[in-house]
This record gives sequence, structure tokens and C-alpha cells, in this order.
Amino acid sequence: MSSTAATGAEGQRALHDPVLLAPAIVAVGLSVGWFGIRNGVAGTRIAVDLALAWALVASSIVALERERWRPSRILLAAAGFAVLAADLQWTSSRTLWTLGLLIDLLWVALLVQVVLRFPEGRAWSPAAQFVIVCAYGAALGGQLVAALLLHRSVISVASHESVADAAGRVERIAGIAVGVALLVLVVPRLVRLQQRSVQRAQAPFLAGGIIAVATTLVWFAWTQAFGTGVAAPLTIGHAAALLIPLGLVIGIGWSRAFRREASHLVVELRTGGAATLRDRLARSLDDPTLEVAYRLDNGGYVDAEGRSVELPEGLDRAVTLITAQGDDVAALVHDPALLDEPALVESVRATAGLVLENERLAAQVRAQLAEVRASRAGLFAATDTERRRLERDLHDGAQQRLVALSISLGLAASRADSPEVEVLSRAQDELEEAIAELREFARGIHPMLLREEGLDAAVESLARRTPLTVIIEGSAGNELPDAVELAAYFVVSEALTNVVKHAAASEVRVRLERDRDMLLVEVQDDGVGGAGAASDSGLAGLEGRLAALDARLVIESNPGHGTRLRTEIPCGS
Amino acid sequence: MAKRVLIVDDHARFRATAREVLESAGYVVTGEAADAAEAYAAVAAEPPDVVLLDVQLPDSDGFSVATALTEQGGPDVVLISSRAAEDYGARIGRCGARGFILKSKLSAVSFAALLE
Repeated sequence: MSSTAATGAEGQRALHDPVLLAPAIVAVGLSVGWFGIRNGVAGTRIAVDLALAWALVASSIVALERERWRPSRILLAAAGFAVLAADLQWTSSRTLWTLGLLIDLLWVALLVQVVLRFPEGRAWSPAAQFVIVCAYGAALGGQLVAALLLHRSVISVASHESVADAAGRVERIAGIAVGVALLVLVVPRLVRLQQRSVQRAQAPFLAGGIIAVATTLVWFAWTQAFGTGVAAPLTIGHAAALLIPLGLVIGIGWSRAFRREASHLVVELRTGGAATLRDRLARSLDDPTLEVAYRLDNGGYVDAEGRSVELPEGLDRAVTLITAQGDDVAALVHDPALLDEPALVESVRATAGLVLENERLAAQVRAQLAEVRASRAGLFAATDTERRRLERDLHDGAQQRLVALSISLGLAASRADSPEVEVLSRAQDELEEAIAELREFARGIHPMLLREEGLDAAVESLARRTPLTVIIEGSAGNELPDAVELAAYFVVSEALTNVVKHAAASEVRVRLERDRDMLLVEVQDDGVGGAGAASDSGLAGLEGRLAALDARLVIESNPGHGTRLRTEIPCGS
Repeated sequence: MAKRVLIVDDHARFRATAREVLESAGYVVTGEAADAAEAYAAVAAEPPDVVLLDVQLPDSDGFSVATALTEQGGPDVVLISSRAAEDYGARIGRCGARGFILKSKLSAVSFAALLE
């Protein structure tokens, strides 16, 4: 069913009816074989050539199964016919013999091209493209020289058997170079493919190519070294080349087996399980690199955590859009090799739609939550800047004047006669109180020590100003984000204020603990306990500040057991 | 002999008040500086015995200036601020100053007490 769909109009255009190739190659093969027998060509050679030609054409028909492999299949069929065309040298006609001679090695160049452009019909790299060009140059150029110099050729310009021999040697050396270059290009690619399971279907084909080339090279070296005739390596080369179409068919068989297995996994996708949806999808599609991006109502995409993501463009990654009830809900970002499995992707897509719609809604909520949190954090940051400015204004403005006034009063008192001294001193004391209150007020707006010296020093200062025994345990360390530091400071400050006001405690423990990405703040007293929820106290205002940092305030307070206030603030890393 | 004092503070009004307090107690005020740069220049031009130094300066902070002045065996430094000592934590003790006076408590008595 899927292969019918994959064949499509494009395939029809490429070769009108690919299945007609089968009888054609059989007919051509039988005629060429008949010529061979009549002219006394060895039976094994005839058999091997027919097998190779038929296998190549058969594999080109099998390759129809895969949409992305289609460019390869035209070259494969062409190589099959080229094998038989070369065997025109078995006929008695000089013209046909010359033609056969000219294209004797064309099939080899065609196969080099097919391998180095497999599967999409694009050369893997400029180096691969260069090797392909060299293969054609060696195969056609060498044979042209031979045809020009051999007496029997119809296009012979001169008869120079020895020069033709030398040209043949050059051609063989070029052939070896192309073979070695092919191995250098294909082997690492095969190794890489093995690590990407979805592309494993290509592996038998490439492995076939490697073994065919390696066998031919070894056999050729052997015959050169031990002087056996040249006919044998040709036969061996043709026989080895059989592995290439064979590998292609095996690869397709593999991927079919793999597809049957995947259909079970699609069921699992629906029923759920402990693994995340992404993991289940990745397993169903056998693509560990799979990513799921959920579509927001505003058209953007986010991951499962609600973080914004961009859909990739270009050839390295492929994107499959998932719809549910006609609307885009998600995009699968995956290995382009998965496009070889349209039926598999289709079945996963059909199954995943509704499941993904739920996940999408969850991701959307997370994204909106993150947005709200970010905007709340932004509000607090703006407030904090404003608080810092207020504190500085108080300090530089009103306070400076009051301070100068206080000093002047002191000076006046030191110079005045006794009745005025008392009045002036009292005025100075009053003023001193006002200044102290103003200072305390400014500190509450924004603790300067926090900015200058950090949380540990600021909490120590809070402890010193608290009229109770305050024991500080642990350390907040350095380099906390401003917002985290300020929130933690306000928690400790507010908690200590509450203890002094309500708890009737004798001792308070403040605990600060920092691990890589979390700041723990805990304030525990030994007072009467029974404190209400945060909403009853000045801590209420802090809850919003903490929530903006994705933290929560936990209050445990049982009558007679004191009160423990605790929060864990994420602080990145 | 009367001690020679340099007053460093960015508020002119405060400098005038401080000068009055110190001069009335017999100190000699060698000059006034509004920021760290002026303070260094004044110390170089006319070395005082004591620098009355505001913690908050427009171009630097009093702690750095105090460290720089006292490190090379310069004058004594008395820090002043309208914020409380506890707002500055341990830095007051680390910077080499003789002590700290809350601005509103500045008087000949509190000043002299730190220099004994």
C-alpha cells in the first residue's frame, strides 16, 4: 500500500513502467548470453554477467519501495544494461565489438556514482563528487584510447598494441586509485550509519559496495603478483559487484521487519507507560535524536517544559507536523532518514495526534506560567531598583539636613549657658531618635549592606539588631542573583520581626544553605508556636516575591513547639 | 600642638558644620575635599594628622580611600557616615581607619576619643 503511494507520478515519469524493465533485461541478457556461447566465452563468465545485470535491474525495482532512494534506482538499472552492453564484445560484428569496448567499464563508473550519491542522489561531499568524475574519466578515457589504438576497432587510427597495453596499465592504476578512494569515503560513513539506527537500512548496501571493491582490489593485486590471466579478475569483479544490489535488497527487507516491530510500539504509544511521550515516540520511530515541539496558539513552538524552540530548517533535520482534529498541535523534529518510512511516520502521526494535543495544552500552560513568572520577576526587579533609589534619596536628602542640624545643636549646647544647655540637649536627643528611625526606615526599604557585603553579612547584621539570641548556621556563599538575595533577606528579616512580636521565644536559629542551584532559608524559634498561615502576617507580601522566583514559603507551627519557616529558592547555577 | 585635620565629604553643608565643631575645639582644619580625588590631592599638598572621611563618596568609597591613605603610613583616618556602623559590616574594621562616628554624633568629644 505504502509503496504504491511512494511510486507516485514522479516515478512514472522517470521510467514509464519500471516493471517492464524486468522482461527487457531478461531478453537482452539471453541474447547476449547466446552470442557468448556461440563465440566460446567461458560459461561462468556468462553466468556471472547475466546474474549481475539481472540483479541490478531487480534491485532498481525493489528500490521503488523507498521514496528517498528513487534517484539511485535509475543509475542501478542503467548499470545493469551497461553490464550487458559491454558484452557486445562477444559478438562477431566489429562495430558492436568496438561499441562494447568503449563502454566496457561504464557500469563500474555508474555503480561508483550510485554508491557515492546514495541515497538521495546528491554527492556526499565535494571529494565524493571528484571521485565520481575520476571514475568516469578512467572508465571512458582508458577505453577510448584502447579503441583508437587497437587494430580490430572500427575507429582505429593506428595500430599500436604496445601503446594500447601501456594505456591499459594506466587505466588499471586509475581504477585502483578510484577503488581505494571509494573505500576511504564509504567505510567511515558506514560506521556513522551504524550509530543511527533509523539509517541502518542503508548499511547492507554500503557494506556490499565496500566488500565488492575490496575483493576486486585484492584479487587484482593477486593476479598482478602471480601473473594469472586478466579474464579471472574481471569475472571476480563482476561476481563481487553482485553484493551491491544484494545489499540494497537486504536493507529494504530489514526496514520492513523493523516496520512490523514499530507497529507494536505504536500501540504502546497510545497506552502510555512510565516513559515520557518523547521517549516513547523516539522508540517507536527508532530515532534517539527525536524532539517534540508543541505549537502555541500564537504560532510559536515550545518544548515540553514550555521553553521556546525554533523549528530547524535545512537538510540535517526533518520536521513532521502533527495535527489533531485539523489543527497543528506539534512538530516532530527528527532524522531525515525517517522520511524513508512514510508509512511508519504516518501511523505514529495518526496515533500521536490526540495524545500530543493533551501534552500541547500542558506545554502551553507551562509556557504561559513561565511568562507570568518572568513578568512578575520583572515587576519585582523594577520595584527593587526603585527601593534602592528611595533609600539613597532618603540618605542623601532629609537625613543629611537632620544630621547637620543635630551637630549644630550639639555645638550650640556646648557653648550655651546652663539653662539653655538642657533644652538644647533634649532637642538633640529627640532629633537623634528621629534620625535613627529614619535610618531604620531606609534600611527596611533597601538594606545597603546586602548589596555591598552579601547575604551572610546582612543576616548577621539583622541578628545583631534583634533583641534575642540569634544563632546563624551555614552560609549563603557568594554570587547569588540580586533577586534571590533580596527575597532571602526579606524572609529572614520578616521572620525575625514576627518572632520578636509574637513568639515569646528565647532563641532563634537561622539556617542558610546553598547547593549548586538552590538556596535554603530556614528560621526556627523556640516560642509558643501556633502561628497562622503566611496570609496573616507580613509574610504575605513575600509570597508573591518568592513565587516569582519559583519558590514557596512553608510554615510549620504547632502550639508549644515553636515555629519553623522555610523556603527553598532556585538560583540557577 | 593642635592636630591638623582634612575634612572629606561631598556635602558642603556638612563640611562647614564639621569644620565649626573641630575648630571650636582647637583643631586646625587644613582643608576640605568633596571627593576621593580632591582628598588625595589635599593630603599630598598639605599632609594632615587626621582625615575625617565620609564613607559615601561620589567617585569612590571611604573604605578604599582609607586603605590607600593608611597603607603608606599616612594620616590617621576617622570614618563618618549617616548610615550606622552595622550597615557596613566588617569593612570598617578591615580598612585601616582608627574608628567610625555616626555623623549625627560628631562632636569634639567623640572625635578626640577615637584619636587617643
